Amino acid sequence: MLNIKELESIQKDLYNEYSDIKKDRIIIGMGTCGIAAGAEEILTAVKKEIKKLGLNNLEISITGCLGICAEEPIMEIRTDNKRFIYGNLNPEKARAVLKSHLVEGNIINRWLIDQNSDFFNKQERIVLRNCGNINPENIEETIANSGYLGLAETLKNFSPAEVIKIIKDAKLRGRGGAGFPTGLKWEIAAKSNDREKYVICNADEGDPGAFMDRSILEGDPHRLLEGMAIAGYAIGASIGFIYCRAEYPLAIKRLKNAIKEAEEMGLLGENILESGYDFKINIRLGAGAFVCGEETSLIASIEGKRGEPRSKPPFPVESGLFGKATVINNVETLSNVPEIMRNGSEWFKSIGTEASPGTKVFALAGKIKTNGLVEVPMGTTPGEIIFDICGGLEKDAEFKAAQTGGPSGGCIPIEHLNVPIDYDSLKELGTIMGSGGLIVMDEQTCMVDLAKYFIDFCKDESCGQCTSCRIGTTRMLEILEKISEGRGEKKDIDLLLEMGEVIKDSSFCGLGQSAPNPVLSTIRYFKDEYLDHIENHHCDSSVCASLFTSPCQNACPANVDIPLYIDSIRQGDYKRAYQIIQSENPLVLVCGRVCYNLCENACNRDGIDESLAIRELKRFASDYLLKDEGGFPIPEVEAEIDKKIAIIGSGPSGLTAAFYLRKKGYQVTIFEAETEVGGMLALGIPEYRLPKDLLNEEIGVLTAMGVEIVVNTKVGEDILIEDLREEGFWAVYMAVGAQKDRQLNIEGSEGVEGYYSALDVLKDLNQGHEFDFKDKKISVIGGGNAAIDTARNMIRLGADEVNIIYRRSKSDMPAHKDEIKEAEYEKVNIYSQLNPHRIHSENNKVIKLECSKVKGGKFDKSGRRKPVEIEDSKVMIDTDIVISAVGQEVEEYFNNGKFEVKLTNDNLIKTEEDFSTNIDWIFAGGDCVSGPSTVVESIQQGKKAASEIDKYLGGNGIVVNKEEVERIISGPILEEQKSRIKMPTILLSERKRGFKEVEKGYSLDQAVEEASRCLRCDVKEKEEVI
Amino acid sequence: MENKLVNIEIDGENLEVEAGTSILDAAKMLNKNIPTLCYLEEKNLIGSCRICLVEIENTDKLAASCITPVSDGLKIKTNSSRVRKNRKMNLEFLLSDHNIECPSCISNESCELREIAEEFGVREVRFEGKKSSYKMDESTPSIFRDPEKCILCRRCESVCSDIQSVEAVQVFGRGFETVIKPSFYDNLADSPCVLCGQCTLVCPTGALREKEYINEVWQALDDPEKHVIVQTAPAVRVALSEAFSGKSGEICTEKMVTALRKLGFDKVFDTNFTADLTIIEEANELIERVEQGGKLPLFTSCSPGWINFIEEYYPDYLDNLSSCKSPQQMFGALAHSYYLDNAEVEEKDLVVVSIMPCTAKKFEAQRDEMAGDVDYVLTTRELAQMIKEAGFSFENLEDGNFDQLMGNSTGAAAIFASTGGVMEAAIRTAYEKITGEELKEVNIESVRGFDQIKKATVNIGGLEVKAAVAHGLSNARKVFEMIEEGEVFHFIEFMACPGGCLGGGGQPLFADKEVLNNRMKAIYEIDENKQIRKSHENPDIKKLYDNYLDHPGSELAHKLLHTEYQPKRF
Repeated sequence: MLNIKELESIQKDLYNEYSDIKKDRIIIGMGTCGIAAGAEEILTAVKKEIKKLGLNNLEISITGCLGICAEEPIMEIRTDNKRFIYGNLNPEKARAVLKSHLVEGNIINRWLIDQNSDFFNKQERIVLRNCGNINPENIEETIANSGYLGLAETLKNFSPAEVIKIIKDAKLRGRGGAGFPTGLKWEIAAKSNDREKYVICNADEGDPGAFMDRSILEGDPHRLLEGMAIAGYAIGASIGFIYCRAEYPLAIKRLKNAIKEAEEMGLLGENILESGYDFKINIRLGAGAFVCGEETSLIASIEGKRGEPRSKPPFPVESGLFGKATVINNVETLSNVPEIMRNGSEWFKSIGTEASPGTKVFALAGKIKTNGLVEVPMGTTPGEIIFDICGGLEKDAEFKAAQTGGPSGGCIPIEHLNVPIDYDSLKELGTIMGSGGLIVMDEQTCMVDLAKYFIDFCKDESCGQCTSCRIGTTRMLEILEKISEGRGEKKDIDLLLEMGEVIKDSSFCGLGQSAPNPVLSTIRYFKDEYLDHIENHHCDSSVCASLFTSPCQNACPANVDIPLYIDSIRQGDYKRAYQIIQSENPLVLVCGRVCYNLCENACNRDGIDESLAIRELKRFASDYLLKDEGGFPIPEVEAEIDKKIAIIGSGPSGLTAAFYLRKKGYQVTIFEAETEVGGMLALGIPEYRLPKDLLNEEIGVLTAMGVEIVVNTKVGEDILIEDLREEGFWAVYMAVGAQKDRQLNIEGSEGVEGYYSALDVLKDLNQGHEFDFKDKKISVIGGGNAAIDTARNMIRLGADEVNIIYRRSKSDMPAHKDEIKEAEYEKVNIYSQLNPHRIHSENNKVIKLECSKVKGGKFDKSGRRKPVEIEDSKVMIDTDIVISAVGQEVEEYFNNGKFEVKLTNDNLIKTEEDFSTNIDWIFAGGDCVSGPSTVVESIQQGKKAASEIDKYLGGNGIVVNKEEVERIISGPILEEQKSRIKMPTILLSERKRGFKEVEKGYSLDQAVEEASRCLRCDVKEKEEVI
Repeated sequence: MENKLVNIEIDGENLEVEAGTSILDAAKMLNKNIPTLCYLEEKNLIGSCRICLVEIENTDKLAASCITPVSDGLKIKTNSSRVRKNRKMNLEFLLSDHNIECPSCISNESCELREIAEEFGVREVRFEGKKSSYKMDESTPSIFRDPEKCILCRRCESVCSDIQSVEAVQVFGRGFETVIKPSFYDNLADSPCVLCGQCTLVCPTGALREKEYINEVWQALDDPEKHVIVQTAPAVRVALSEAFSGKSGEICTEKMVTALRKLGFDKVFDTNFTADLTIIEEANELIERVEQGGKLPLFTSCSPGWINFIEEYYPDYLDNLSSCKSPQQMFGALAHSYYLDNAEVEEKDLVVVSIMPCTAKKFEAQRDEMAGDVDYVLTTRELAQMIKEAGFSFENLEDGNFDQLMGNSTGAAAIFASTGGVMEAAIRTAYEKITGEELKEVNIESVRGFDQIKKATVNIGGLEVKAAVAHGLSNARKVFEMIEEGEVFHFIEFMACPGGCLGGGGQPLFADKEVLNNRMKAIYEIDENKQIRKSHENPDIKKLYDNYLDHPGSELAHKLLHTEYQPKRF
């Protein structure tokens, strides 16, 4: 039994012991996260290995969660008073670390967790300070780290009233979510005349994705006990209860151990630290009802009754457990108390915001790169937490929204990444702080589905007492289900809003009062997504399974029936495979080479190992037909229609429209300004990605169908729109693309030799122009696909050095990720966060590019940080050539005649939903309407436009004749892990020598092997079939 | 604190009211009726239905007025559009999970849900979707349970656990799956339910009601071969007219007799007759036990709900129970013996029907110990239903008189209907039997009224007889606690239902305190107006002993009028 003085003195001794340089240790992270990741095997392996290595004196200890759960299992080697933390271990790696680090003295840097990374540096740890650092099962380590000194100081220096004043002054607010001032709560309870009062710690953490409290309980249980003892002293209670969910067995075990340890040392129990103050803590286990997190239900549960809320007033502080004054605080709130008592309210207030001082622990889950626990000052923005501290999204996916407050909360959409998080700001956004769960979502998350998930949770967890929560949540779920199954009506959204308001207003307790929040919040920020489900029966994230046959097809802008053609490949019917694709997308060969395969992002196989190589298989089908079957199948033209249609531009959109209109029987003529057919396919996309002769094979399908192609004819110059009208064309489809490079407007660029625009360079190259860029230093400005294409072309021209200069960070580059990877492989340097200012020249020849360094400012509406120039941060890049690739726009030459097709403010052609322009017989689509987009999106537009033109000309608008197909499994479904087959490519040296196609294509065996990885998500009743 | 007055404003009107008064009650003072569904004065204060919501200025949530106490300065809106919208949608929610079959529902006329939906003008339920699906529980002869009509107001749960301390029905499950059902058992018959039917009195819908035997009785009446006789319990005559006039406290004995005769009963007898008989036998038993050192205190045994309760919860005390059958069963036994001896009827043609204020009586009539004596038991409500169905105007019926032989009764029998009545009647007789002197003050006020437990000490011939009266089973439990703490009693009256039979589970619905009080007044009025007010002075009872039974406690009396009960185990 200690007194205060003794505690202070042993603290010093223990501090020396546990911080002593000689105290080398191995520490294994044994939180639930660590154990789940395999820490127990690591521990066993380490023990064995230490023996084997003869390091028998080395202590092996455990610790709680360090917060970086993504890196579990974690092992720390504490030598020379330094911490070396190895992450992502398995027993084998752990043995290697021990041997290398301890025996050979070599630190394995690549396995080390960087303790100076933003993940740690940008955090401010108060309650998590000891988590992942001390052994939670050894009170000595707690004491060494100042544990119980807050209690000692409290008992020594302050009266209960003074304690309450300090907590009030510190403006500590409840971390359970509601943010009620803790000091005020204590004050009311302290005023009660009840002879017995209670302190209850609410450790019934039930939000999906929240694990803050668990980590504190597991990693630093004494901090909580100390906080509770101080609370008890302040309000005059001698009994405390920890209400912990039974699903936390490890936390309960460590709490029990901690209580025992503390009682043995006289830090809890009777006459604490010989001060005369008694405080005993009991643990009560919750049986897993979410509603028992609500304080009155929690009390009912401790009293042995059914966990149901009762009405307030009276509040628990007046009449709580067994009718006595009771303070209920959450784990994190109480865990802040010891530090406040030791360091004072002013210290606490210096952290965080004025209205919400201190820190908040967040549990990051979902599509986040570094999932785990972080503690940040109040007022930190979601952007900082998600992107700076946690490294952004998994697989660098695009951020869509983050859910705070769990099922009671709402989502923070991309436009609010800069909002400082505190109780009040989140409320304004329609969400709540909640206990600190932060679930990050990317574009693959369907917001209707998300709302469904949370309301389903609340529906199940409703105690069933009040009408609005019991029935209302079920009815909300049913309406959401209706919407997600494509049976929704527009009025359902209004009904959901009305129900949401009523359920919030009417419900008895916090559960019901907040249950509609996720629905209301997703409708608030993602109403268009609801409408898409209702009106178009489309789920953009490929989640709502009743709305599509397979997720890949759903994600494909051209709506290609992917599983079906993959199955044909597996069956060896390559022609059928081609035809299945062709029916929805006439540019099979092209897309097999250049498509950015949105389908693969949606592939369910990704959940097992890797998404299917859908593009590669498409390419295989077209290659096979060319090589082994003598060419592509020519679709049959329906009955001839004696109506002429002119298509201006032979890019993907024009070709597609021509294909479908001709198939319908129209007389179609394509007018192409250049000599080459294909638009950007021919002139923009480099030869090494899409060889021109192959492109022409596919264009040959169209000519074989009877499409007339007139080259070297620029509408507006060689022929006017009115001429087309006179020549008897019933309709015109403008698919002229966005062919003009946007001006960089950089100082020193005018008239200087060595300054080019990317499109010019790409076009010239594709038309056989020879550039002498050998051994030159080249700077390409921009971060899009045109910049990457240009840069990779330069490598092939033998440039000495190719640099890409981009304003934002590399992860923000709009270019396709695989292309960036290839470019870097080909030794293109990517300089991000540089803003070019001026071209320096000598003798009218470019010599240097002057740039400023840029840092990321606030997040803009695209979810990327705004580039903000750093003052006086000039960077000079030696360069001979500067190529600008900063975007394209429409060239307006077609308006040279009598008719004027109206443009938008962004210099794009203005169209209605049916692709018609201001002139009713002129339609437009593709890049000239949408701005630069992908090939497959242009194909989608061409197809839709063909349908609209058909309707305009009196047809039924059906351009794809859908066959009924029986979907059956033709071979075993491969459910065990199997990585995708890598696309074979040519060597780097070969790439540098010329424009040979980089990808070599699959062999037949490879194609069939890859095709057999398909899970056949399109077959709904797999079980029965198998 | 309790009496502190506070100023509040309701819909712009100022009111000074005691702090802690509920908003609902405060509004009543201003003649504002806030609609309620789950609320039940003093009995169910949980605020679960969310119909009585009101808006409190400067708070962002609505409050359930039935459970929210007023505090100084509160400004309340009881009729804002927000309030109406919430109430109406909650009602829509309830209706969306309700088995709506109003025209054929037993509660069609008495359904509070239907009534409130009409008040709110709910013309459409916008929600489709799943409905709770449960089997009907018809396991007992007394009460049925139809969870598909339950709106989870939980009045039954409160009444069963708080007032009756039986806890036979409780809420189970969570969320949409929440259901009221017998605790740990699948059906009521297996549960500790005592069948008192108090839950049927408070259920706002048709989820809990008495099991009807109307069709069976009609069938018997329509059968020319059958000789159908009927007995009417003391409490029926002071409540039956409520079903027709809506007024409480009316004594309608004579009209009831006429009605029964018109319905086709061959003889209309009175359970009051056997109530007098019960007193004779029970007083005799008490005297015997006192004089011969039998098991004391003696417990009354007229209330079948109480019998079920003691069998289940206090089987160790079964010996304290009077061996007397209840008046209903004494009547049944006599009908098959004494009556048959005096009538030209064959036993096989005899049908005995009782009109009872009680649901447990239906069970009692089917108990193994006594089965066959009474064929059908109808509640007061069922009788009213039959009269309505027959189509005659109850209020305009002429007066009629009970048939002779078993139709005459005393004031002592009349007060059986009220809590304390059996005790009072027994004392009137026991006193005179023991002392041989005339009891001057017939009214024994100390056992009258609605106090939960009433005690009286009566000096009978030098012996201080200690008596207690408990009504409502939670009060019965309290009496057992007193006994176990050593308090000495000689005679205790137990009634399962609060108020005694006048508050029985088979009585007309919507009986608030005032209605119960009026029924009680009417009971004592009947007693006051009787010339003979002591059971042993009933001339027909004397005749029964003289001509048939011989003497109280005789062998034949034992055979016909007494029984034994067994512990019921779970």
